[in-house]
Amino acid sequence: MDPSGATHSATASGGAGGAVGVRIQQSRRLPDFLQSVNLKYVKLGYHYLISNLLTLCFIPLIIVTLIEASQMNLNDIRQLWLHLQYNLLSVVICSAFLVFGLTVYIMTRPRPIYLVDYSCYRPPDRLKAPFDSFMEHSRLNGNFDDSSLEFQRKILERSGLGEETYVPEAMHHIPPTPSMAVAREEAEQVMFGALDNLFTNTNVKPKDIGVLVVNCSLFNPTPSLSSMIVNKYKLRGNIRSFNLGGMGCSAGVIAIDLARELLQVHRNTYAVVVSTENITQNWYFGNKKSMLIPNCLFRVGCSAVLLSNKAMDRRRAKYKLVHVVRTHRGADDKAFRCVYQEQDDKGKTGVSLSKDLMAIAGGALKTNITTLGPLVLPISEQLLFFSTLLVKKLFNENVKPYIPDFKLAFDHFCIHAGGRAVIDELEKNLQLLPIHVEASRMTLHRFGNTSSSSIWYELAYMEAKGRMRKGNRVWQIAFGSGFKCNSAVWKALRNVKPSQNGPWEDCVHKYPVKKLS
Amino acid sequence: MAEVTYICKRTVVSTKPVQPGKHCSLSVLGHQMEKNHVRMVYYYRWGRGEGEAGEMTKRLRESLSEMLTHFPIATGRLIKNDNGHWMIKCNDAGVRMVEARAKGSVEDWLQSVDREKELKLVHWEDMLYKPYFWSTFYAQITEFEGGGLAIGLSCTHLQADPTCATMFIKAWADTTLAHKMRAPPHFHPLPPRRPGNKIPNHKPYTSLINHYKVLIHNSTAFAQAKHTTVALAFSHHMVKACMGLAQKSSGPSPSPFEALAGLFWVCVSKVKGLRNGLVNMSICMDTRKALGLDRGFFGSCMVYNKVDSEGLKEHELSQAAIAVGEVVAKMDVEGVMDLIEWLQHNDSQSPPLMNNDLICSSLEAVDPYSIKFVEEFEPVRVSYYVEPVFGIGQVFIFPAPAGEGLFGRVVMVTLPEDEAVKLCEDELILQFSPTILMGVNKNYA
Repeated sequence: MDPSGATHSATASGGAGGAVGVRIQQSRRLPDFLQSVNLKYVKLGYHYLISNLLTLCFIPLIIVTLIEASQMNLNDIRQLWLHLQYNLLSVVICSAFLVFGLTVYIMTRPRPIYLVDYSCYRPPDRLKAPFDSFMEHSRLNGNFDDSSLEFQRKILERSGLGEETYVPEAMHHIPPTPSMAVAREEAEQVMFGALDNLFTNTNVKPKDIGVLVVNCSLFNPTPSLSSMIVNKYKLRGNIRSFNLGGMGCSAGVIAIDLARELLQVHRNTYAVVVSTENITQNWYFGNKKSMLIPNCLFRVGCSAVLLSNKAMDRRRAKYKLVHVVRTHRGADDKAFRCVYQEQDDKGKTGVSLSKDLMAIAGGALKTNITTLGPLVLPISEQLLFFSTLLVKKLFNENVKPYIPDFKLAFDHFCIHAGGRAVIDELEKNLQLLPIHVEASRMTLHRFGNTSSSSIWYELAYMEAKGRMRKGNRVWQIAFGSGFKCNSAVWKALRNVKPSQNGPWEDCVHKYPVKKLS
Repeated sequence: MAEVTYICKRTVVSTKPVQPGKHCSLSVLGHQMEKNHVRMVYYYRWGRGEGEAGEMTKRLRESLSEMLTHFPIATGRLIKNDNGHWMIKCNDAGVRMVEARAKGSVEDWLQSVDREKELKLVHWEDMLYKPYFWSTFYAQITEFEGGGLAIGLSCTHLQADPTCATMFIKAWADTTLAHKMRAPPHFHPLPPRRPGNKIPNHKPYTSLINHYKVLIHNSTAFAQAKHTTVALAFSHHMVKACMGLAQKSSGPSPSPFEALAGLFWVCVSKVKGLRNGLVNMSICMDTRKALGLDRGFFGSCMVYNKVDSEGLKEHELSQAAIAVGEVVAKMDVEGVMDLIEWLQHNDSQSPPLMNNDLICSSLEAVDPYSIKFVEEFEPVRVSYYVEPVFGIGQVFIFPAPAGEGLFGRVVMVTLPEDEAVKLCEDELILQFSPTILMGVNKNYA
């Protein structure tokens, strides 16, 4: 048996009749160790050993202490007490230092941030856009030539979207009637819909909200969307409100990060984070292929999240925020121009996606997990990664880098539903199983790409399916223009049931839907 | 002065998606009517306090969406099947809805409305050169600034005749009112003749078939002068009197349709200046009842038949009515089944019909005045049109509001303008003192 994957060619011998010999490359390699069943159990055993190493090391110490304690008699205890009395001062000083150190440690620890509840907006059914209606409207508005229409149709069919995604009111008109007023109406409809639902479900009083962060990438009127919310719900005068514009599909996680940092400074308050996108004025009516794709993918959606740093909310909160890791690749020119909003030759505005999108996304993900890995991965995986890295650096350049198994670190994955290609790519790169990406695929099918709010729809899907159990860890990954890759890690505080009036309430029984290739 | 201003046109899709890959075929009777389209207007009046402008329109939009879930045939698109005939692909592309606003109140409008103005309340688009993107149904909601609402519906006669179109509106009204539909529609092809009913030695009803043969070969439209439409309402007693007049001393009593059809046949011939004999007239009947189809059947079931005017030299009402009656009687299930079978076998690629005769359509099966969108508000006026008018003219006879009595009828007559004026002044008609709901407007404000 060859020790290292040898390849030899086998020529299919044609007969004497002059048949063309076909070369078939047959590679005989060693069976892939990581895939073979036996090794899987070895790996699991190794993982449990390292995770509980500390406990295992203590066991001999505990045994020795117990043996000693059992052998002590009354005289020994009296001796111990006398020693303490003589050295009272040093004992008191030691305890004082200990208590002081403990207090400083406790005070400087970051406050836990709890996710009390969140709500995702489900638009009214009359705004649905079945494929044929979409194609008909695209044809009837007269701006697209035949090749653009054909291109959009192909993208739509392969996109992973279903027939029930929502398109704003203005696009249902013939001809479409986008305008600032209508865009505002769309923003109001989605944001207020999500917030009304959130406030009803959590019974929080608007006056108790101290922090408000809104993110919407492509629509930034004055007064801002956050001001619209302050106006509608009569929030208090000293509210810390922020409006993040232009930050792309990963802005949802950025907003959560900002809210988290504000909640460290402002005590005992609530923060509301609203993530949305505005489709009305961002439809592309030209013929440049790279800019037509967003028409086929982006759809109406909004999410509103209620965060709290109050200790009493621990009881009713759904999740606790564990980590947020933000990675920005904008320093690289190619990554910077990857998702670019611009005008085409005819002056029509649209967002153009470059062909290297997948490669850049993969690179951004790698950077992100390099930072995230040490924070979340169990020691066993980190040791393996580290040792493979050492081997690679010092001994053999050709050893494949070890991809840590994130399935050991997380129970659920919310991958931004940017498109079928993104989900496929991540499924491959992170070696995930179909059930891990099911939430992303089904959200893409039912709601389309709702930009920064899609990770929340995916979380709602998992809750609706009853898969969220106490202690489960969730990893939300969002990609966006810049090029940015941001991750948020949450831990479930109880077996989470879906909230009232959730986006999946009427249709979760129809899912999962078979993947149509 | 633009009295009606268009606000926007949009597409309305159903709330629940259609099963993919569904197709509905159209009946042969529908194929014959391809060149026509149906237009209806329903006027409603409620006080100015009933909600702000646009609110009712919004509600109607949502209920239309809900109701379309049950009408996949209306949201589909036309494609040609393997035989080269039209069928509907149920792809949920939606129907078009136009929103408009009009000055004044409904009452003011109704006092001075005429054909041209009324047709502005019903949006229609002729088939695009690419029929796959052409919607077959159009709804228009016009809100009157002074109070009231007009709901217009137009659809191609391929798919729906006036009875169906009324069913569509009724379903829409029921959904708006109570979110429930009382009689969900059925889509299936016309039933074949039941084998048990085959009469031995049955002679097919040739005159009906011959009539269609003639129509198919002679399908060209006459170039016409400008048409106008008048609407006359006949009260219960007057229609009874007409029936009495139309009855020959010993014969059976004619139905309201036969009596009124005879009346208008005679009067139109007079105003056209025919001294001896009557104009060519075809009646158009809804054959649902004859074919035994249930009320929920959705499809075109109107059939033409020529009324023989041989031997009717004088303008005599009873003779005319009897002639009409004879033809109506012959259009029973056997006669119509013969026609349907002949059309199916003939399978000609000839263009569909353009009937040049005076067409007198019976819409006895509809009950438009009972359709309520808002509790307790029935329509104040209903109008039917089947466009375009090819030949001499058209007469529609349909029931009047229930309060008028069993035999109350409304008649809508479309003729060239000068003839319409003469018709309204004809003594025979005036004998029955009709209320002129919509007259010929000489003055345009």
